[in-house]
Amino acid sequence: MAIDEISNRKRFLAGDNVYLPHIAVIEKIIEETPDTRTFHFSFKDEKLRREFSFESGQFGEFSIFGVGEAPFCISSSPTRCDHLEFAVKRVGRVTSALHRLGAGAEIGFRGPYGNGFPLGYLEGKNLVFIAGGIGLAPLRSLIWNVLDKRDKYRKIDIIYGARSPADLCFTYDLDSWKQDKTVNMVTTVDKGDDSWTGREGFVPQVLEQLAPSAKEAVAVVCGPPVMIRFTFPVLAKLGFTPGQMITTLEKRMKCGIGKCGRCNIGDIYVCRDGPVFSYAQIRDFISSEY
Amino acid sequence: MEEKTEKLKNEARKLLEKGQVCRIVGFEPGSLKFTTTPLITGEKDELDRLVINPFIVNNLSVYLTGLKGCVAVVAKGCDSRSIVSLIQDNKVNREDVVILGIPCSGIVDLSKIEYLVGKDRDELDDITVANNSITVTVGGEKREFTKSKVLFDNCLGCELPTPREYDILIGEQVAPSPALESGKLKELKDMPPEERWRFWKEEFSRCIRCYACRNVCPACFCNRCFVEETEPQWLLPTPHWQDNLLFQVTRTIHVAGRCTECGECQRACPVGIPLRSMTREMYDLAGELFHYKAGMDKDEEPLLTAYEVEEAENFFG
Amino acid sequence: MTVKKIAKKELARLLDEWSRQFSVLVPSVETGVAQMTGWQGEDTSFVDWYRNTILPPKDAILPVMEEMFSFSKNEDGYRLEMSPPDSGRQLIFGIRPCDARALAMLDVVFKQDYEDTYYMRRRLNTVLVGIGCTNPYDSCFCTSLSSGPSDTAGLDLMLTDIGDEFVIEAVTEAGRELLDKSQGMRPATADDEARARESRDIANQRVTQNVDVKKMPDRLLAAFDNEEYWRKIAAKCISCGICTLLCPTCYCFDINDEVSDNRGARYRSLDSCAFCIYTKMPVENPREEKWQRVRNRVCHKYEFYPRLFDTIACTGCGRCIRLCPVNWDITRTLNSIPGQ
Repeated sequence: MAIDEISNRKRFLAGDNVYLPHIAVIEKIIEETPDTRTFHFSFKDEKLRREFSFESGQFGEFSIFGVGEAPFCISSSPTRCDHLEFAVKRVGRVTSALHRLGAGAEIGFRGPYGNGFPLGYLEGKNLVFIAGGIGLAPLRSLIWNVLDKRDKYRKIDIIYGARSPADLCFTYDLDSWKQDKTVNMVTTVDKGDDSWTGREGFVPQVLEQLAPSAKEAVAVVCGPPVMIRFTFPVLAKLGFTPGQMITTLEKRMKCGIGKCGRCNIGDIYVCRDGPVFSYAQIRDFISSEY
Repeated sequence: MEEKTEKLKNEARKLLEKGQVCRIVGFEPGSLKFTTTPLITGEKDELDRLVINPFIVNNLSVYLTGLKGCVAVVAKGCDSRSIVSLIQDNKVNREDVVILGIPCSGIVDLSKIEYLVGKDRDELDDITVANNSITVTVGGEKREFTKSKVLFDNCLGCELPTPREYDILIGEQVAPSPALESGKLKELKDMPPEERWRFWKEEFSRCIRCYACRNVCPACFCNRCFVEETEPQWLLPTPHWQDNLLFQVTRTIHVAGRCTECGECQRACPVGIPLRSMTREMYDLAGELFHYKAGMDKDEEPLLTAYEVEEAENFFG
Repeated sequence: MTVKKIAKKELARLLDEWSRQFSVLVPSVETGVAQMTGWQGEDTSFVDWYRNTILPPKDAILPVMEEMFSFSKNEDGYRLEMSPPDSGRQLIFGIRPCDARALAMLDVVFKQDYEDTYYMRRRLNTVLVGIGCTNPYDSCFCTSLSSGPSDTAGLDLMLTDIGDEFVIEAVTEAGRELLDKSQGMRPATADDEARARESRDIANQRVTQNVDVKKMPDRLLAAFDNEEYWRKIAAKCISCGICTLLCPTCYCFDINDEVSDNRGARYRSLDSCAFCIYTKMPVENPREEKWQRVRNRVCHKYEFYPRLFDTIACTGCGRCIRLCPVNWDITRTLNSIPGQ
């Protein structure tokens, strides 16, 4: 296959085989919470390291050879590409194995897959980022992307919540966003501890109290499904139309390219047609499976 | 048969009308010739579809753990033992099930008829079952076979053709058949171990891991099968023959003392693996070693969940 | 296109001849289950017993399990090695029209967007020689799906049984080339062709199951949220994988690693939407309940796939009906969708 025959999407195929991963090396591990870690990684192949590009919101299939593959979004921003990052909450077999890895370990990566956030649509708008728990990972990529081109966007609100202070991820980012005068950053926890002096309350409730204006705004939401389900009605109450609400969905994915079957909601394959959707798209999705 | 079917319909109707049960689990004619299919219904006007005939293959007790409320279920001898076994394991409450017992003179194994006459099921014109023989009509020609040639292996030598545990018995008692050793099992036992290993290797090379054997089995009632566990992952989903064999061996051990020899695992297998040779051996071992027969007495402790302190093996510490 | 004929007693010789060029697969029960296996020479008795295989011929292109690549580790790290492709070209002899048509449905999925190397390399190396059905099963319903026992779609060559001989028709250019090169063929006479037509007509009439597929996607969409209906329909399903794993149009798969000693490999194996764990995530499962999974299977074939690719992903081969342990019959479901 000649290189010019390969569409932009397929630029990073290993050996022309979509299932063959590239080898990447874990460079640094950050313990975000007791069960969540961020991995900094770089491709072993120098050419790929130079040429690799992706969009905020896209994901990859990460593998530990001998254990298997799992999809994670790239949590770093394309505007800062000296290395790549992904964040993993320990919930199953592959994620547990990832947590056992140390710096220097080799993993497999294939991607980027999926559609990414619609940056063009967000330009010139007021942005409200709403995230819960590990759901900040894909938004974090977008937030840094936006902040690195700050003048293209208008007002920025970030509402981030976690179950407890110990469950807050990316605290180093939260700190720098708090200090950024062009950002209105609010952190909340479901339940604080003795040392917690910040807000308490669920994300949808805090959103309702803060009541960001829907005028020329777009809300980008990511978090556990239960948070997403309760957040949309609040946004609607604040005057956001379904087209002004954007989210990214999580489904079980194996192939990442719309073939293996399991991530469908009706005739939509989340891996191929998403994972980023506007609420206008998903509210018409087959109700009981979303 | 018509008489039994009528009686069943009446009893089922009464149970639903009086509100004693909210659902009937029985058989209705299948969509294909000489087949039946499970009918699970709470609607009175559907009860007319109920049927009892020598083709009621399924062990309907497999549905009990998934149904809420009080249920009436049609059960042949082996099926009733499965229900008893489920009661022993606290999977089903005796009060929540009305057993419509069917004394059973054996179920017709269509694959045996297909083999004997060299035609497929849908090419047969008629099958008539009499007391000791079965007449098959193919292309206008009638052929008679003794029942032992065309019943399922597990029906030959059935120990409990008439349910012992039942609420309503539909029809006359049927006497147990004389015990028969399964031909396949004997053949396997007589093989040298290497040959037997090769045999199972070949058989399990065909397995596609559809899990029909497990899913038709009332004794496989785990909410989550060990094969689906990921931490630790005991077995991979990839159907290598070794893993397929290991899956089946483990399953067979898991159903020891629960398997009532209904034969559904083997019948359901789309690639024809003689699974009953495994479950039968386990069944016989339970009898030999522990004098235990599954599903005979609902008040008995289940074989593998009860033990005496004196029985402690070294590995208990 | 050329129409020729060959005597049945010449068949073994023809298959031998083709074997020099292809790895030839024929219907067989040698493995203990009816499936396409390598031609061993001589035995053409399948001509008499073969109606269709239990394992669909898709197995020769999308096998139940396949090694994708292997990996090993040394001091420089991991090294991946593509598993060697199956060597050479294969010819599936005797594939039924329903199964050939089904391959065209898989082609779309594996070709679109990102091409699937493993599927495509086998597919492009496969020649399909079909035999029209003369004795369809009572569970076949191909004629409801704009196909039939003599449908040539997807085939390269089509054989029609006219008694002691087969009439052979080239369907594609590749088929014509093969036919022209093959020895022992005689031109079919007008009489032979008339007998072939007659044979086809009789076979068509023998397919008696019927499904009305008009506006199926819309009707299913309208019934999608009718939970009561799906619960009732699904009640007797036992959630095994027979109907999906043995379906010629089902393609869902899983990917898993296996390691032994110093070498490991990644495998692809067929998966089934009937299994609860198929969609299970650590916290949520969008199709945890049986009725949701039954609905997905029916709707994938008759609603979602047609919306994407303009054709129903079912060819009416009837395997799912014949082989179901509880006789769950998809034609009964399709004929009872509420709102009809």
